[in-house]
Amino acid sequence: MDRPLRCRGMRDTLPQEMRRFRRVEEAFRAACQGWGYEEIRTPILEHLHLFTTAGTLSPQMLGRVYSFLDWDGWSGERVVLRPDSTIPAARLYAETLDQGGLVKLFYVQNVFRFAEGDESREDWQCGVELIGDSQPQGDVELILLGREVLAHLGLEADVRLSHTGLVRAVLAQAGLDTSEQLALYDRILDGDESSLVELQARLPELGASLQMLLAMEGQGGAYLSNLRSAFTKGVPQMEGPLDELAIVVGALEGLGCRCLISAAMVRNFEYYTGPAFQLEVAGHRVGGGGRYDALISLIGGEQVPASGFALEAGVLAALLAAEASERQIATVALEARDGESLASAFRLASALRAQGLAVQVAGEPLQGSPVVKVAGEGYVLVGRAGGERHLASVEAVAEALRESARD
Amino acid sequence: MNPPAIKLALPAGDLRGPAARALDSAGLKVEGYGEGSRSYVLSIAGRASVAARVFREKDIPIQIALGNYDLGVCGLAWVEELRARFPQHPVVLLGNLGVGRSGLYVAVADGAPGLGSLGGRRGLRIASEYPNIAEAFALATRLPAYRVQAVWGAAEAYPPEDADLAVIAAADEAAVSAHGLSPLFCLLEGSAWLIANAEGLARKDLSPLLGPLTGGAGRVEAPSLRLPPPLPPTAGRAGVSPPPRRGDMLRMALPDGHQQRHAVAALRDAGLLPPEGYGESESVRRPQSPIPGLEMKVIRPHDMPQLVATGEMDLAVAGRDCLTEHLSRFPSSPVQELLDLGRGQFNLAAVVSEEVPASDLGDALEHWRGQGRQVVRVASEFPGIADAYARGQHLGRYQVIPIAGASEGFVPEDAELLIEGTETGRTLAENRLKLIDSLFRSTTCLIAGKGREQSGRRRRVFDQVVAALRSAAEAARSV
Repeated sequence: MDRPLRCRGMRDTLPQEMRRFRRVEEAFRAACQGWGYEEIRTPILEHLHLFTTAGTLSPQMLGRVYSFLDWDGWSGERVVLRPDSTIPAARLYAETLDQGGLVKLFYVQNVFRFAEGDESREDWQCGVELIGDSQPQGDVELILLGREVLAHLGLEADVRLSHTGLVRAVLAQAGLDTSEQLALYDRILDGDESSLVELQARLPELGASLQMLLAMEGQGGAYLSNLRSAFTKGVPQMEGPLDELAIVVGALEGLGCRCLISAAMVRNFEYYTGPAFQLEVAGHRVGGGGRYDALISLIGGEQVPASGFALEAGVLAALLAAEASERQIATVALEARDGESLASAFRLASALRAQGLAVQVAGEPLQGSPVVKVAGEGYVLVGRAGGERHLASVEAVAEALRESARD
Repeated sequence: MNPPAIKLALPAGDLRGPAARALDSAGLKVEGYGEGSRSYVLSIAGRASVAARVFREKDIPIQIALGNYDLGVCGLAWVEELRARFPQHPVVLLGNLGVGRSGLYVAVADGAPGLGSLGGRRGLRIASEYPNIAEAFALATRLPAYRVQAVWGAAEAYPPEDADLAVIAAADEAAVSAHGLSPLFCLLEGSAWLIANAEGLARKDLSPLLGPLTGGAGRVEAPSLRLPPPLPPTAGRAGVSPPPRRGDMLRMALPDGHQQRHAVAALRDAGLLPPEGYGESESVRRPQSPIPGLEMKVIRPHDMPQLVATGEMDLAVAGRDCLTEHLSRFPSSPVQELLDLGRGQFNLAAVVSEEVPASDLGDALEHWRGQGRQVVRVASEFPGIADAYARGQHLGRYQVIPIAGASEGFVPEDAELLIEGTETGRTLAENRLKLIDSLFRSTTCLIAGKGREQSGRRRRVFDQVVAALRSAAEAARSV
């Protein structure tokens, strides 16, 4: 075909990829249920304004959403294919579940964001949201839960921790107003080196320490202590964020989980207000999350603290080893094409399926799979190697098929 | 005959004169362009390899991006409007022609507070002919829950009643003020540029035009869109809410452009013609009201259904074409036709090139398929109607090209099919087009919102206006 029929950036998931995807999903679902989370699903269409409300998604991200006027758009009110699931989950909570107490939700759903060229524009996320007062144990729980999912999949995760309060405190100390802070923070995240120079000029007393905070990463508790001694005198507002991080790091290190600290890490999401983290496997970012205490009130709900994370299901599935389908599919061979033969073939297939086997009715058997035929009162089983066995009952056929699947 | 090697897109409208003079002084005489010839396809004296075509300025960057035209002349604002939504478009800015200087401004009604006060305000309405730029502005300033009203024109007339902000093109700040608005922020300043399709530039010899047009001055850096930084939420929200609508005034929209003379006639017959500001040869945005309790505003007919749907306007005199377009896109809209004023009649029709050997759509489709065309391109100022028609007629794989005007020139090179208004068929014949299907008859009508509760004086004025227009329309029909 000279021109693909698929839309650009959209992927088909073939059976083999789907099997890997399901493994990720099942590991995630099992882990979430083990930690007491319940599954939800949110609609694919949401109002655009839910996402443009200040403090939710950054303009860079909003510049990549799929927004349009739908059939109801007569007032000019746009809708959007959800570019993120945390904001819809927060909306769901504010609209229907906001009755106090801790709410623990998880979901497996897709998000849509424009990406250049042939990069994927639809991504599947396994996400959890922990809504209600859960600091500090919730911050630790999310990281442990994420690592547990990855461990189930046989993947070793590296944890990278951050806290948006660190950079915000420095920017406020530099005498920048809110809008200048946001603009400069965007530039720091974009890796714009002149932003660091500009900041250094505004905070000469911090000098080279800024380099340590914004352009470096460090190892766990030790690096946190270094930040504390370099900054808390000059930037007292950093003390709170450093304390929050120290608790999380202390707990994780106590459980034998090492983590990197990276102050300038959170991209494109403005709703994080506290500790944030990323999970990496062999250098691939496979997920991340953090605390977003202001989000629910920003979209019109009560002031409720919350945190959450999402794993990139597609990235994880691609990291798993390919595996062949384990299921043996037996074929009930069709002897003739009249109604009576069809009925007897489907009756046999149905009886075998009731025994927990996968069975199809076909004229042609699948390559390398066993075939069952009706022969008078009994049955003939043609094994994968071609040998024939005469069997008297459906139960005996089922037993023989199970044996063949084990070989 | 070989197709001309180089295709040049030239602007109609205000930029036509200045662009013609700029081309002229570069030694390129486009026959009939400066004089405003009715023909859309023009040639350049002494350059047989070049074919020029006249478009609405807005459509030029799109035609260049599509690769239908190699070179074009248009204002920077329309290039930025394309870039704001489609950053990867293949349009290259080649040279400043130095004519048609204009700026793009964010403006509010006179006396409204400045840019800083907008921070954190929910639900701001921004009217603009440049909706993508307006959207970029709202995102950059992080306005929460804003609404961009994409309009066909007259955005400067929207604040304060029908929008909180307008993003408009104007020569300078004084020109913004002349509309009764205060400029808050200048997004862009520039003039008309020569633009090119990147691929054409890389593969095609365009020198017969590039030489004369880019020769003179050295390359100047093209100005680009400036966006303000994020606006922090203002502390108190008091004093910044939009001016409350005057509760007991009935608001009515009147059309400018082609519809104007029909609306004037209908209003005159009904005894509702504004004593000043709206007539055959005059039009101001806010004409004097003929009766107490009624407020009139002159805007583009295309934009009326939305304003009626959202309740900003109570009544509007609009063409059925615009109402049908709105309802084709938004079937749940609460706008309806209240009264057929029976004037300004024309047919909305499916139109093809004279050369298509077919008398109906089925034969035309067969002809295009026979030529190996896989996608049928449908150009229209009414993309909603065109889309509904294409679906309903089983066009198969088709592409609707929304255009701003000058539609007759699109067939046959840039579209197979036009969905187009035709009154007498003369313009069709002049442009070597023919009608193959009629969609519906459009006339001037009165539109209003469904199920709107009105009471008190507003109700009385509403009934009075509708009754006067109805009896005048009936009288006109019985003549």
